[in-house]
Amino acid sequence: MKQNHMKELTKGFFEQNPVFVIALGLCPVLGVSSQVSNAIGMTAGVFFVLLFSNIIISLLRNVIPGSIHIPAYIVVIASLVTVTEMVMHAFVPAVYNALGVFLPLIVVNCIILGRAEAFASKNSTFDSALDAIGMSIGFGLALTLIAVIRELFGSGTITLFPIGGFSGVIPIPWFYDNPVRVLSLAPGAFLVMGFLKAFFAWKSSRKKVK
Amino acid sequence: MKKNLKYAFILLSICAVCAFALGWTNSVTAPVIAQAELENETRALEAVSNGWTVGGQQRVASVPFVQYSLPLTEAGQTKGYIVGLKGAGYAGELTMVASYTLQGEMLFAKMLTNSETPGLGKKSEREGYMDMFKGTGSAKAVPTTKDMLAASDASAVSGSSVTFMAIGKAIQGGSEYVKTLGGSK
Repeated sequence: MKQNHMKELTKGFFEQNPVFVIALGLCPVLGVSSQVSNAIGMTAGVFFVLLFSNIIISLLRNVIPGSIHIPAYIVVIASLVTVTEMVMHAFVPAVYNALGVFLPLIVVNCIILGRAEAFASKNSTFDSALDAIGMSIGFGLALTLIAVIRELFGSGTITLFPIGGFSGVIPIPWFYDNPVRVLSLAPGAFLVMGFLKAFFAWKSSRKKVK
Repeated sequence: MKKNLKYAFILLSICAVCAFALGWTNSVTAPVIAQAELENETRALEAVSNGWTVGGQQRVASVPFVQYSLPLTEAGQTKGYIVGLKGAGYAGELTMVASYTLQGEMLFAKMLTNSETPGLGKKSEREGYMDMFKGTGSAKAVPTTKDMLAASDASAVSGSSVTFMAIGKAIQGGSEYVKTLGGSK
């Protein structure tokens, strides 16, 4: 893989992390990060939609005229989200139920339209796919990190997916008996997000100084 | 004019391809979803039946919160009813089943479908959530506001009062309906 392809893939992890650096898609991040399983499910949904929307929009970039590109992108993205919703409802109902209203709201997740507009409409299909994979991984890392902190400190548990006799909920000793309830509620999402964003800003400013 | 027609044609083509893709996906997933929902409902009916025999479903029209009812019998004698309920949650309709004694006391309840917020209203799907309504509806009033709950239960519904009230009102509606049936049917 050429170095510039590698850069397209990895830039979304930390350097241009969609959540902590570009600050895109914050609504689902704040909404679903109360449980780790929700974060993983949302990441899977965003990964599928972002990958295919970037590929399709990149393929159509010379066909769609500039003046109608937004409605065209929205139709493609909304269709992909609906396909994701139907497939999840049919084959992974636990994830579908856990994500609830946030699954259809992927349509208005700024990461999807943002990457279509800023990247896929101007770059090759291969680079657009790499960009989608990298951004999805970056989104997933950020979302999962926030969810782990909120669930561990707020509820004292880590919730994964139930398999067989395993309920999916892992109680963590000490944290389970001493939860900081506010972290599992909506204000907790803003607090954790704020501290992590400040941490990332501090890290990147240190890098620039060096 | 020609340019506008070209734009319209491009948008129409994209919409047509998307509509075909959605139609095909729906044709594949709809039967799987229907089957899963049927199995889910059957499991829920069994879970709330209290070990009694579940009878045939009867549709109920124009009774608030109630969609259908099924008699619960033991040795040919009616012991109670399972009622299919619907309520207005925070993010849309929620459906559930609840079983009652002939006096309208709730025995068990189980959530079937809802679109509540993950981490908040979605907690209503958890094991034990419906226990706070158990034994209510007859001698004890069904809790429909947070101040009717014990402190431990009140903290469990924190951040999801709308869902809790929707469930409470639906269970109360089911209880009122069962009281009108008595043991006669």
